[in-house]
Amino acid sequence: MSLLQLIARRLLQLIGVLAGISLVTFLLVHMAPGDPARLLAGERASAETIAAIRSQYGLDLPLWRQFLTYLVNLLSGDIGQSLRFQRPVSQLIEQFMWPTLFLTVYVICLAIPPTVALAILGARRPGGIADQIIRLVGIAGLTIPVFWLGIMMSRFFGVSLGWFPVSGYGTGFTGHLHHLFLPAMSTAIWLVPVLTQSLRAALIEKTTADFVTAARAQGATERQIFWQTMLPNAVLPTLNLLGVMVAFMIGGAVIVETVYAVPGLGTLMVNALLGRDYYVVQGLTLVFAVSTVLITLLVDLLTAFIDPRVRF
Amino acid sequence: MNFWSRPRMRAMGLTLRGATFLVAGLIAFEPALAADVIRVVSPYQTTTLDPMRSAAAGNIETYGQLYSRLVRRNSETGVLEPGLAETWEVSGDGKTYTFHLRDAQFSDGSPITAADVAFSLERIRGDKKSAYPAPLSSVESVTAADPKTVVVQLKSAFAPFLGNAEIWNMGIVSKADVEKRGEEAAFATVPVTSGPYEVKQWKPNEKLVLEPNPHYWRKGYPKSDATVELIEIASPETRIAMLKAGEIDVVRAVPWAQIDDLKTVETIDMRLEPSTTIYMTLLNHKREPFSNLQARQAAGMAIDNEAMAKAITRGYAEPANTTLPGSVDFHDKDYPGIPYDPAKAKELLAESGMAGHEVKILATADAPSQQTALLIQAQWQAIGLKPVIVNVDGGAWWDATGKGDYDAAANWWYNETPDPDLAVRWAVCGTCGSNSYNTFYANPKVDALVEEGTKEVDQAKRAEIYKEIQKITTDEVAQVPLYYAPNAVAYAKRLEGLKLTPSLQWTLEETTIGQ
Repeated sequence: MSLLQLIARRLLQLIGVLAGISLVTFLLVHMAPGDPARLLAGERASAETIAAIRSQYGLDLPLWRQFLTYLVNLLSGDIGQSLRFQRPVSQLIEQFMWPTLFLTVYVICLAIPPTVALAILGARRPGGIADQIIRLVGIAGLTIPVFWLGIMMSRFFGVSLGWFPVSGYGTGFTGHLHHLFLPAMSTAIWLVPVLTQSLRAALIEKTTADFVTAARAQGATERQIFWQTMLPNAVLPTLNLLGVMVAFMIGGAVIVETVYAVPGLGTLMVNALLGRDYYVVQGLTLVFAVSTVLITLLVDLLTAFIDPRVRF
Repeated sequence: MNFWSRPRMRAMGLTLRGATFLVAGLIAFEPALAADVIRVVSPYQTTTLDPMRSAAAGNIETYGQLYSRLVRRNSETGVLEPGLAETWEVSGDGKTYTFHLRDAQFSDGSPITAADVAFSLERIRGDKKSAYPAPLSSVESVTAADPKTVVVQLKSAFAPFLGNAEIWNMGIVSKADVEKRGEEAAFATVPVTSGPYEVKQWKPNEKLVLEPNPHYWRKGYPKSDATVELIEIASPETRIAMLKAGEIDVVRAVPWAQIDDLKTVETIDMRLEPSTTIYMTLLNHKREPFSNLQARQAAGMAIDNEAMAKAITRGYAEPANTTLPGSVDFHDKDYPGIPYDPAKAKELLAESGMAGHEVKILATADAPSQQTALLIQAQWQAIGLKPVIVNVDGGAWWDATGKGDYDAAANWWYNETPDPDLAVRWAVCGTCGSNSYNTFYANPKVDALVEEGTKEVDQAKRAEIYKEIQKITTDEVAQVPLYYAPNAVAYAKRLEGLKLTPSLQWTLEETTIGQ
């Protein structure tokens, strides 16, 4: 199968995924107790006021008619209006998307170099002192809850030392780098151990692989064997894992964004859920689904690029 | 055999050193707090800029900055003063109020006329989507007699009318602009305002950026030309960290547990400001066990609200003695309150036949709500009830209480004016549209007293009426009063003249930035 076929198949998959996701989220958010009109108008509003708001926004219609309207709009490319802010959902998502994307890329940049370094260090002498220390520190990094680590780091590096801001997104590229450093670090601290373990295991496994012996028999230097034979082969499973993690971060940066008050998709999602802002929740879910599919596609393409044997 | 040659390690060392430089470079950026921005952080969100549309906590804070009202409350003395109305007369029978407007302009430079006032007040009173028409329920009509004169006709004499005209949703909006842009569009991004500030930028879900309104009628105000940012931060830990790091100037709703710590910080002024807030526990009168009077009395006597105030607010709140906020007018300071008597409570509960009954306590995720639910659970368990805590979010909380699908729920509310009329209508009146704050408590005698209190103009007689209401509703345990809490607000010391009034309005226009 060619590359084009792969892409075409993924896009077809995407349509199915989106249809399923929109139906499920629609039902979930609408059937959860709670009324957006009440949360909008506040506690003192009377039942008549609530009814008037519900009818203005079409919330009093039968559920299937609301879903139909939503679907028709969706097909014409309109993902709806925010019930709370009377703005297009797409505009809100666009506003909150950049901090999350920046943070994700930042985390990847912070996580990959130490991952590679530590995995190599550990795999060099499996079970050796370096390997044991890396594993122990890694387990610590994995098990510390992100919110606790976040609060501690913002107290220490932000409040006590004053090195980094404890909130926000900043302005300009260096401003973003500065403001998002602590959130990115907090995320990288659990991400690095996950990736390191995967890469280390793959490296050790490949040490005894037939193709390594073959390469050595052909007279390749150890340096060539490592960089051209072992690492490319070992990196594939970790790449897949990274893909999953990145998709997870785009959709699930909720905790770290809340702790550091980063105006990203995670905070938007939490508040939309609390405010029963139905169309924002649905729009975000769609965005997360699309980004997951796209990232998986990207990982597959990269895999094909690194390992020409991989065929789809 | 070794694949891992030394040069590789050296290369890695170089990379690490590079990373260290990068980090050092990042640290060099100082988080400078611009001198001309006042940053106020609240957990409550701004969700609409239309003063008619919402009575939710975050919007209340915002409206006061954007819209002026006919009268205003002096932020020092609390006395009503002329606002957009320069003078006013009340007819002999107390039924006609004539307001004479001053020369004032909207933020777009157009004059504020009687037509705008009539339009704004009629919207609040008559529009179906109006979130809180209750303060104007006594009004018959609002008309513009001439461009500078507004006549308000009341159905009957109504003692608290002037105070009600000062409430946060009574802001005057531009009739011409709302008609031109349409109701939704006029308030969607940058509305025409009549208050001290206008909107520079609104990023929903994040912050509202305000700048001084150059056409504001109070000349010389806002005193500082600083931009104001009203920022929404959900996590209390983050709000406090931001304040300590100097990234913001004001934090609303400081957690009780953090107050002592913030008091020791040199750059921070940690204040406990007077409020009309009461924390209480709703009881559902619609179903057993709390449809039973003795069971409610037992539930009230089982609770040691003095100990609860101490445990939850670390002693910063006063135990509550009646169903009304402690700082509203005519609050009965001498009423003894519901006595704490677990032995008697046990007896009463056994007599009522409700012993062993399951009680569903609703609790939201915030710390005071969780703590209250746990403490109440323990105290009710001790007298023989079977309380279970059900955790919900705000949306589900309103859904359940509105439908009466609960037995008890701890919450707080506040009164927007010192006058108790709106408070009793909200909390203990069965015929005022609030279902006695979703408790479904209804006592015809109390309902009649509420109406009497509205019409009575003699202050001594009003005091008697409200005393009677407090006595009946507390005796019958309409709700379980817990404590009267101040507003815990932390300010950066560089600000002068800023506070949160008991009506939950920031005095930003009177704020200056010192050194």
